[in-house]
Amino acid sequence: MNQTSQFHALGLDVGTSRIVIASRAEDSFRYESQLNAFVAIPYSKITEGVLEREKVPHTVKAGQIIVHGNESEKFAGLLNAETRRPMTAGVLDAKEPDSLAMIREILATMLNGHQSDRKKKVCFTVPAPPLGAEGSLTYHEATVRQILTDLNYEPTGINEGLAIVYSELESSNYTGIGISLGGGLCNVCLAYLSVPIISFSIPKAGDYIDTNAAAVTGERANRIRLTKEDSFHFNGFFADKVHQVLGVYYDDMIRSLVTALKEAFTRTSSLPKFNRPIPMVLSGGTALPPGFRDRFEKLLWEQEFPIAVSDIRLAQNPLHATAKGALVCALSDS
Amino acid sequence: MARISILEPPVSALELRAGQIADPVERLRFLRQEMRPKARLAKVTARSHRRAGWLAAGLAALVVLVPVPTGSAETLARERLLVSPDTTNPAIMLEPAPRVWLVDRSGSSELYSNGLRIDLRYAVSNRPRRQFPIFSTGGVRQGEGNAPVGIVYHTTESNLAPFEEKENRRLQVSGRSSIEVVRQERAYHYQIDRFGRVFRVVQESDAANHAGASVWADSRGVYVNLNDSFLGVSLEGQTSAAEATTPAQIASAKVLTEMLRSRYAIPAGNCVTHAQVSVNPQNMHIGDHTDWAGKFPYAGVGLPDNYAIPLASLYVFGFTYDSVFLRVTGTRWRGLDLAELWVARQAAAEGAETGKYRSVLRRRYKDIEVALKEEQGEEVVK
Repeated sequence: MNQTSQFHALGLDVGTSRIVIASRAEDSFRYESQLNAFVAIPYSKITEGVLEREKVPHTVKAGQIIVHGNESEKFAGLLNAETRRPMTAGVLDAKEPDSLAMIREILATMLNGHQSDRKKKVCFTVPAPPLGAEGSLTYHEATVRQILTDLNYEPTGINEGLAIVYSELESSNYTGIGISLGGGLCNVCLAYLSVPIISFSIPKAGDYIDTNAAAVTGERANRIRLTKEDSFHFNGFFADKVHQVLGVYYDDMIRSLVTALKEAFTRTSSLPKFNRPIPMVLSGGTALPPGFRDRFEKLLWEQEFPIAVSDIRLAQNPLHATAKGALVCALSDS
Repeated sequence: MARISILEPPVSALELRAGQIADPVERLRFLRQEMRPKARLAKVTARSHRRAGWLAAGLAALVVLVPVPTGSAETLARERLLVSPDTTNPAIMLEPAPRVWLVDRSGSSELYSNGLRIDLRYAVSNRPRRQFPIFSTGGVRQGEGNAPVGIVYHTTESNLAPFEEKENRRLQVSGRSSIEVVRQERAYHYQIDRFGRVFRVVQESDAANHAGASVWADSRGVYVNLNDSFLGVSLEGQTSAAEATTPAQIASAKVLTEMLRSRYAIPAGNCVTHAQVSVNPQNMHIGDHTDWAGKFPYAGVGLPDNYAIPLASLYVFGFTYDSVFLRVTGTRWRGLDLAELWVARQAAAEGAETGKYRSVLRRRYKDIEVALKEEQGEEVVK
């Protein structure tokens, strides 16, 4: 591989809840991550000065300061408000008036440190269409592509599930099933020797769990998410209601995913005849709770699955695997 | 029995080849390239169509009608078969390159860690090695190389004295005169005389005039006219008298091969004989030169039986051979059978008669030949 090309390629995971950039640093990968969220706070000169001094990413707009990225959550907590998000269910949120401006700001801030004289290749993730629907992803993909082009990058899109395959399934020559369990969607891709064969998504993922658990418990979705990330696990009994409800909705999401996998692979007439069982990789923030893999495996084996699966594993780094796969794709294009 | 194995899906071979690529990015690049929809074939065929009238037009139409992959792995594998057969026996690709390093260098010789000693007294320069093109199996230029990727073994086809003690003087004289000729012609990078002495003739940084019109392929692509891409190693001897090759020559060829493979990371499958790579563009036959058309001591040189590798000249460019060539080879190479079978399969997959399909492949070669001539100007053709 051309040494310089290594440093002129980026992987970009544009997720509903997080945006992650992967880059190559000598023999390793480097990641930067920001929440794909923002919060508006009332404008004051003092606040703006503090934010500038502390290098908190923000913009001033229409008498408000909009804090975006990782810091937005802290400010939302201080103001007892929900963060807003540019994206929902894996794509730009048509109902959020500031979605375009905000995702542009977040991407510009994150990519700022990666500028160089030479135009860099950036491979960004796009979700697969929802199973059973031919929902158009063109607007989302074209918009992200345009933003990246405006920022002087050379963008190409990659299916999110395929990025998992490229990140994690080198040992099986990029044959297997990659599943990205993110905030808005679960993205699935079955790949055969690097070629995507079947891709789809289901709209039940982390946000589905948070929103429904919040509705049942009366908590804010932000708080539910923090609880989920901090202390939820599958191997045990919880006395408190939040954890119990999280367990219920997690199970619901996993069952939906397993059913969708079975349905998609069963109804595909041109399913490849693999000469050996293939691996399945789970990735994304929603797959992080301890015991998730075991629970998923148990529910999968309860079904009569149409493909022989050799093993079900968690990605080495579930939060960064998608971005890494996108980077590997960009590098292989260089 | 050998033919049965190739009728099975080629996936395992492709996977094995991919498995040899340690770098995950390079492996992905290789697989994506191999599995890519073969629009290239359509492009090349369409070009042929412009030149060859209705016949090629019909074939081009057939090729264009090959569907773009729609998500079926079987479809993809089938389409890959159309233009991208296995170029190597997986077992060959598994052969690791040994690590060899320079231990000492004096004005007249070099000593290497595996015992190889190279005599430098006859070393000369020639024109510097040019960057050489690498083509896809569809005939499209897909990259360039500038370091040697293989070795071509030759024979001097010079007069041989009996290898006996009483013939010492003749043996020495014929060896020396042979090297003088090779030096004058800039014919090879290395020559091994019958005592097993290794002489550097043309500097490795330069091209030697050793391969002429020639074709070979590996997992990276197809190489055409190998003077720049392959190193030439000649053993003093004759193809028709392979048994006269001395154990000392074979031992030296082994350590020299180890050193070159180590230095340039040359795959074992790219260490082949001149007869395997040589082509005659005038009559579109292979084996224009027949050096080591048979009995090359692959095992003795530490290599797998590379006669089993399918010839890219046949399956990529539609070359053929005649009975004379087969007589020279002695035992028929397995690589010939495999390459023939690939051509037949490709033709069948496109619904074309083999002869017509081969003519499309040949135009592919002619296009490249013209392009290379335009690019490089006149070149010494051995």
